[in-house]
Amino acid sequence: MHYRWLIGTSLAALAPTAEFAYAAEYMSVETAQRAAFPEATAFDLVLVASDVKAAIARESGRFIVDPRVWRAHAGDRELGWYVVDEVIGKVELITYGVALERDGAVKSIDILAYRESHGDAIRLASWRAQFTGKRAADPVKVDVDIRNLSGATLSSRHVTEGVHRILQIYQRALSHG
Amino acid sequence: MVERTPVEVRCAQLWLGTLVEIRVQASSRAVLDRTVGAAFSVIARVHRTLSAHDPSNELGRVNRDAARVPQRVSPDFSAVLDAALTLAARSRGAFDPTVGARVAAAGFLPRSGPTDPNASWRDVELKNGVVRYRRPLRLDFGGIAKGYAVDCAVHALREHGATAGRVNAGGDLRMFGPSPETVHVRTGGTRSRVFPLAQIADAAVATSAYGDERRRVGRRWATSLIDSRTGLPVMSTRTVSVIADTCMVADALTKVVALRGVAARPLLQDYGAIAAILSPAAHRWRCTLLAPETTQRTVLAA
Repeated sequence: MHYRWLIGTSLAALAPTAEFAYAAEYMSVETAQRAAFPEATAFDLVLVASDVKAAIARESGRFIVDPRVWRAHAGDRELGWYVVDEVIGKVELITYGVALERDGAVKSIDILAYRESHGDAIRLASWRAQFTGKRAADPVKVDVDIRNLSGATLSSRHVTEGVHRILQIYQRALSHG
Repeated sequence: MVERTPVEVRCAQLWLGTLVEIRVQASSRAVLDRTVGAAFSVIARVHRTLSAHDPSNELGRVNRDAARVPQRVSPDFSAVLDAALTLAARSRGAFDPTVGARVAAAGFLPRSGPTDPNASWRDVELKNGVVRYRRPLRLDFGGIAKGYAVDCAVHALREHGATAGRVNAGGDLRMFGPSPETVHVRTGGTRSRVFPLAQIADAAVATSAYGDERRRVGRRWATSLIDSRTGLPVMSTRTVSVIADTCMVADALTKVVALRGVAARPLLQDYGAIAAILSPAAHRWRCTLLAPETTQRTVLAA
């Protein structure tokens, strides 16, 4: 174990990181799919009927439920499903992927991208605007130097709720039984 | 001259109720894939065995039956319980893995069967991989299992040929490899701040931040931090970071330091660990550093 305190030891370390925003891009969708189903030969995009998505959105009290769904197969053999969706929390935007077995059991949940901001309200608004395609009044600096962050990060609640919606889609649109 | 640069990958999955991020370096892409796959499957195993939210797993079974019939447990269970009981003894109960029932009573975990309100860690017996409770109680590894999972993942990464890497489970992290890196700490509370904490190599850092998950219990505010002397949840606004050799020790010690403050220094010394305590004051943060040779206090701008 080697360490050197930075906190409380020098003038430079007295102040907190001013414009703090945390963002990380992890695996691409393709890489995540291959990692979840190494034996798959192809992933076919599946269209989910819009009335199914609309019904699930209504029941879960969301404006939109619109995940992208792929069927993983090895030749004729169906292996399972890979679903990519996004959740937006108070301070975070998360893109995640869920691998489902043929019978709908959750194999794994990958986080593909994770963005958050802990600034004040104005900074937060402009931060969120950059993800909704609107022009931000002042550009937000994402501090890419913060790679090792200790202390609470995202709680799994929002993603877990998202996974439940995906299981609804599986039940109503993907399962054969 | 051909420079052989190591390949690196960074990926994240959802386990242990949080984001688990792995960054790893290896000599080839094939080694990378193998190491990451192995590390995540180890974390999944620890999650399934020790999660407090699944009554049908091993922890659920032991909590249900160990007061009536001695229960044989897995190596993971045994390792975590052994470490937890050792720390409970050394901290004279400041760390107590049986406070789970009280955490549940405070509304932070689902409630389960009846427990004896006077039960403590002293009523848990672990011998040759068999667990017995002397009173009905409930073990909860919430304060230590995340750190253990991180340590297991780091072992898996090294075993499969990784040369450097980091595993970060919801802010409890461990790094290995030759080059030191800067770790930042995020404070709790509504006015959350991020400070550069330390530069570390081959070490683990865990942080417990209180204050932003508080809720009303009876007539007072409380956090998930339980004072084992009174059995009551306390209202702490401290953020505590511990640096140690293993993430399990760092994770567990944050709770003791949050409860005992400067008085936890001898225990930190026992474990070869150091700590930083951050407490909010008007428009700034007070910082206390606890290291073997010094206790140092400073004030940080907010």
